[in-house]
Amino acid sequence: MIVGVVLLVVVAVAFLLSVAVYNALIGMRQAVQNGWSQIDVQLKRRHDLIPNLIEIAKGYMAHERQTLENVVKARQQAVDASGLQDKQQAENFLSSTLRSLFAVVENYPNLKADQQMLRLHEELTSTENKIAFARQYYNDEVTRFNTAAQTFPNNIVAVLFNFKSYDFFEIVNPAEKEVPQVKF
Amino acid sequence: MPYSFTQIEKDKGRVIVLVFFSLIVFYFLTALILYWSIKGFLILQINAESERTNIPYQWMWLYPKEMIAIVSVALIVGIGHWFFTMDHLVEKMLGALRAEALNPSDKYHRMFQNIVDEVSVATGGTPMEGVVIPTMAMNAFAVADFSGRNVIGVTEGLLARLTRAEIEAVVGHEAAHIVSGDCLSATVTTSLFELYNSMRIGLGEMISSSRSQGKKSDGVVYLSYGVLTAATFMGKILRMFISRQRELRADAAAVRLTRDPLSLSQSLYTISSRWRGAGLSGENLEAIFIVNPRFSRLDESQGFFANLFSTHPPVAERLSILLDMAHSDAKVLEKKFLERQNYPRTLAPETPGASLSLVNTSSEKNWIVNKDGQWQGPFSLLDLANPGFLQVDTWVKKLGSERIEQAFENTETRDFLWKKNQQQTLLCPKCRVSLFSEAYEGASIYRCQACNGVLVHENDVERIVIRQEYDFSPRIKEIAQKLYQEASKKLPHIDLTNANLYACPQCQHIKAKMPRMLYSLVYPVVIDKCSFCGFAWFDKDELEILQCMIEQADQKNA
Repeated sequence: MIVGVVLLVVVAVAFLLSVAVYNALIGMRQAVQNGWSQIDVQLKRRHDLIPNLIEIAKGYMAHERQTLENVVKARQQAVDASGLQDKQQAENFLSSTLRSLFAVVENYPNLKADQQMLRLHEELTSTENKIAFARQYYNDEVTRFNTAAQTFPNNIVAVLFNFKSYDFFEIVNPAEKEVPQVKF
Repeated sequence: MPYSFTQIEKDKGRVIVLVFFSLIVFYFLTALILYWSIKGFLILQINAESERTNIPYQWMWLYPKEMIAIVSVALIVGIGHWFFTMDHLVEKMLGALRAEALNPSDKYHRMFQNIVDEVSVATGGTPMEGVVIPTMAMNAFAVADFSGRNVIGVTEGLLARLTRAEIEAVVGHEAAHIVSGDCLSATVTTSLFELYNSMRIGLGEMISSSRSQGKKSDGVVYLSYGVLTAATFMGKILRMFISRQRELRADAAAVRLTRDPLSLSQSLYTISSRWRGAGLSGENLEAIFIVNPRFSRLDESQGFFANLFSTHPPVAERLSILLDMAHSDAKVLEKKFLERQNYPRTLAPETPGASLSLVNTSSEKNWIVNKDGQWQGPFSLLDLANPGFLQVDTWVKKLGSERIEQAFENTETRDFLWKKNQQQTLLCPKCRVSLFSEAYEGASIYRCQACNGVLVHENDVERIVIRQEYDFSPRIKEIAQKLYQEASKKLPHIDLTNANLYACPQCQHIKAKMPRMLYSLVYPVVIDKCSFCGFAWFDKDELEILQCMIEQADQKNA
């Protein structure tokens, strides 16, 4: 009798606990997904801005066809990419081509002073910042979710209901990733 | 997260409940005192009539009926006060602060809007709006109300003087207040009484002015002045509920949002060094600002009373925490501050259209145009800007080229027409040629290419004189200095002959002449300002002289 009651209490407590954990995990997963959609919105915004940028730059820098084409190509790749890994790579590539484009723009004072160009530059800077912030928020939420889902006793619930950990969205600067070669 | 959401919700709720409770207590005490004085007065009267000398003190004792009446009056007035203040709270606060909506055609405002959006993304999408206060001072604030409206505001001076990263850090600080919810409790707490402070000041002025005229004010005026003074005092008491630690928490949370402690410390240093905004409309709403607009000794000290009644922690304490996070020290801040004051600036454009990119090539007179069957010219593209002169189907020919084309076929004239069509067709009040819109100090102005006068909206004038992108030639500096010095002795003569006044380019259809006036008695630049639309006309160099004058005065005050 007593054993039965104790067992019942234990089961009830375990059930209530797992309900709480399950709900908390769902909440955190929502935050992660919200973070991801924020990143997506900002990436799309950048894709939309680039054609305008190319259109304005074309008029001033006819001799930099290669740089402009690189940006267009990179943009297309980024638009077509699907899946976290692909997206990450394509977007990083796009960022680096944009950087080299703006480095070239420095040599064209007329283009730099163009009112529309100034406006677009501000918009692009802002979008880059938003991507960085959205990524930061997403990664923070992923850390929170992953930590919660992997610690005991939450991990039991996580395994039971098939909660998978999320990957970080990393912006890797290709130059930084290379291991520096040390020569003597 | 160090400060969990449930904890925040609890704190927020507790402060607001406490504030509401104190409001009711305040009205209860006020009602009690009023009731006692009336009752005492009546009893004195009765006693005087019946010629009794010993006055019993039992009258101070209240019967349950009286008590209930007083409590219900206090409840009704208190609840009424609460809901009256909470209704459209954000609009009321913005009105008290004289904040304005952002202007999307202004460069600085677009940047600020972008920064607010960026920080909103960093918080995971909390909705926030941006507003500006058109003043030279540097400060920032956040307000929120129960409808879920969050507003971050900065002054024009802050936008003009801080770098993008620094503004981002400041907005991050304000966003941290909003996300943590203490923005709402601070807004509620400060608004209850301090919102009516301007009314008290107004009444005080009224009383003193009527007294100086030898007239006596009504008893009602004195009574309401007394009540408002008590309310202001109550507002000071309510500051107890605003912890000064909230600023430290928001600093820390801002660093978590923007990951840039150095920029935040730089902006705090710059704001607190000067221009923090004393005299700002609504400076008594100090709790919602990032740095107290008034320098207060209480803020800068520690101890029991300081902790209880001050709204901001000492700036030095905030800076040292942030600098620790940034692994930096105060020398860097001083260096940056000096750099900021002596940054290199380009000269303001003095020739017409120099800042207009399309004009670079077009000031040469090398176009001939077929008008009414006759070839005329040569003209420059700017000459062609006159209304009705160059149409899309006008035949044009560039000197040195054999081709005769219609204006839409030639790339140069086509671009020119396109750009021209984007402009409003405003005419120079002096020369009757088209005014061209251009960007100047981030705002848009309309410049006459012939006389180099400019048409600027009064709101934009306020912004332009605050911003300091351009430097001025020695000639302009000299004129500005002379005018400023002579202003104290003799104001310049204004020619008010009606024939010499200009018609407003914007309001031509009502044939309104623009009144001629001085910008202000301190800065005596003659301007013609339309009283209908607010556009002001500056003759050649006058805008630059005004800017230069204000800047020089500001440096002298530093």
